[in-house]
Amino acid sequence: MVGQLAEYINALSTQLVKNKVETHVVTYHDFSTGTVEEASGVKTVRVANPVRTHIGVLTWDLTLNQEVERAAASIYYQANEQIDLIDVYDWHFIPAAATLKNALDIPFVYSVESLEDHRSPKADTPYNMAIKSIEWLGFYEAKKVSVKSEWMRNEVVRIYNVPKEKIEVVAPDANSWVKDVLELYKTVLEA
Amino acid sequence: MKHELSVMIFSWEFPPRVIGGISPHVFFLSKSLAENGVKVYVVTCDFPGTPAHEVIDGVDVYRIDSYKNPAPDFATWVYLMNLNMQKEAAAIANKLADKIDVFHAHDWLVATAGIGLKHVFRKPLLVTMHSTEMGRRDGLHTDTEKMIHETEAWLTYEAWRVICCSDYMVSHVKWAFGLPEDKLVMVPNGVNPDVYKGIEKEDLASFRATFALPEEKIVLYVGRLVYEKGIHILINAVPKVLEKVDAKFIIVGSGYMKEQLSNIVRSMKLGHKVLFLGFVDNETLLRLQKCADVSVVPSLFEPFGIVALEAMAAKSPVVISDTGGLSEIVEHDLTGVKVYPNNPDSLAWGITKILLNENYKSHIRENAYRKVQEKYDWEKIAQQTKQIYEVVLGEYSKSFWA
Repeated sequence: MVGQLAEYINALSTQLVKNKVETHVVTYHDFSTGTVEEASGVKTVRVANPVRTHIGVLTWDLTLNQEVERAAASIYYQANEQIDLIDVYDWHFIPAAATLKNALDIPFVYSVESLEDHRSPKADTPYNMAIKSIEWLGFYEAKKVSVKSEWMRNEVVRIYNVPKEKIEVVAPDANSWVKDVLELYKTVLEA
Repeated sequence: MKHELSVMIFSWEFPPRVIGGISPHVFFLSKSLAENGVKVYVVTCDFPGTPAHEVIDGVDVYRIDSYKNPAPDFATWVYLMNLNMQKEAAAIANKLADKIDVFHAHDWLVATAGIGLKHVFRKPLLVTMHSTEMGRRDGLHTDTEKMIHETEAWLTYEAWRVICCSDYMVSHVKWAFGLPEDKLVMVPNGVNPDVYKGIEKEDLASFRATFALPEEKIVLYVGRLVYEKGIHILINAVPKVLEKVDAKFIIVGSGYMKEQLSNIVRSMKLGHKVLFLGFVDNETLLRLQKCADVSVVPSLFEPFGIVALEAMAAKSPVVISDTGGLSEIVEHDLTGVKVYPNNPDSLAWGITKILLNENYKSHIRENAYRKVQEKYDWEKIAQQTKQIYEVVLGEYSKSFWA
C-alpha cells in the first residue's frame, strides 16, 4: 500500500463481485508476483518490473506497463476475448489501457485520484510535463472519466479542457456509490 | 500480390531519418522482403516534411508521434516514444485487413513497443540486436547503462529468435544475456553497390579538388566521433602516415570527441592535413567514398562494421582494426588490410601499405567488390530473414497462442 488507493480498489472490487461483475485486478508487487490470487471472488494478478535498475519513476512505470499488458491480455484471452471494460486508476497504467483499447477494442474508464498539477504545483520540468502528457493521453483515449468530487471535475475541465459531459462524479462516501459505478460502466458499454 | 506472411517492423530510424546504421538496414531489408512476397509494415519515428503514412517500394511506412515534449533525458525519451509507438501500432495492426503474423524489433530503442504488442496480439516477436550497451560502453558503469542493458536482456528473453549481423555478435549477445545457442541466428548486414554506379561515370576531379591537393592521397573515416569507433587511434596515426606518404585525412561524422580531437590535431600542427567535415549529405558521402584512396575503420568495438562494407562496395580499399564483426568482413591481404586494434603504429602501417602500392590497392579493391556481391546482397539477406520468419511461424503454430 502506498496511499489510499489500495483500500479503495479492494472495497470496490469486492462490491463489484457481489453485484455479479466478474472482476480482475492487475496490480504491482515486487515479490508476490506471477500467481493469481482469489479473495472474495476477486481475482488479483501482481506483476513486477523485469527491469530492476531505473533512473526515475518514469522509466520504472513505462517498463512496468508491458507486464500489465501481458497480464491483462492473458485474462482477455483466457476469458475468450470477453472483457467488456477496463477501469484504470491514475496515470501509471494509462499506457497499458491505451494500448489495450487500440489493439483489442476494450474501452476504458480513467478514474482520477489526483493530478500532477496538484501533486507538483507550478512544476514544469520535463519530468512533470511527461506525466502530464500521460494524463492528457488518458483523458483523450478514455471513453469516460471518473472523479470523486465536483471540484475535481472542474479541475479536469480547467487543466485539460476535457468536455464536461465526458466526466462523471462518483463519490465514494455516497450511499449510491456502487450503483453509481455500475451506472457509469453501463454508460460506457452502451456507448 | 498475394502475400505469404506479414510482418510489422519497429525501428526508431528510417530514411530520411538517419542516425546510425539501423535506418539503411531497415530500409533495404524491408524493401527486399517486400520483393520476396512478404507484406511489410514499418513503424518508425516521425520526421519533418514526411507523411504519417506512405508506401515506399511496396512497404507501408507509418511514422508515429515520437514524443516531442522536452524529456528528462535520452533514455526516458526512448520509453516515452515507445509508449506512442506501441499505442499507434496497436491501432494500425487492429485495423489491418491482413493480420500481422510476426513483430520484428530493431534494438532496445523499440523494445517496450515490441514486447507489449507481442503479448497483446499474441504473435511472435523477433529482434535484431545491432549492438549492446555493454559493448558500446565497454562495460556497465552507470544506472542508465544498467537499465538499458536490462531492457536489452528483457527484449532478447521475450524474442522468439534473436538475429545478429555477425558471428562475433552472436557470441557476444549469447554471453551478455546468457541466451541459449538455438535462440540465436546470424544473418549478415547488407550493402547496395548500385548506389555508386551512377557516380562511376562522373569526372570527380573537381569534386576531389575541393577536399585535397592533386598530390595528396585521401584517407577517409566515416563514423561517429566517439571512443568505441577508435577515431582517436586514427588521429594518433596521422603523423606516422605523413612520414611516408603525402595525404589528406577526411573525417566525416560528429560526436562528443570532436573538440578533443580537433585540439590534438591543432597541437600537432596538422590542421591543414585533417579535415573535420561533420555530417555530410548522402551525395557528398557517396562521392567521397568513391574518391578515397583508402577507407579506415579503426573501431575498438564493432558489432558488424557497415562502413567497411560500404567502402568495399564503393571500390575503396579498406584498413580495419581486427575486431568484432569487422574481422569477419575482411580477409587480410585479400579483401582489405587488418591491423591491431588500439594501435596507431599498426594502423599507420596498414594505411601506408595500401597507399604506397598501386597494384596491391587494385588487387584489394577488386576482391572486396566481388565479396560484397557474393555475400552481402540484400536479396539473399531478405530470403534468409523470410526463412527465419517461416521457421518461427511453424513453431508458433504448434503453441497454445496459435
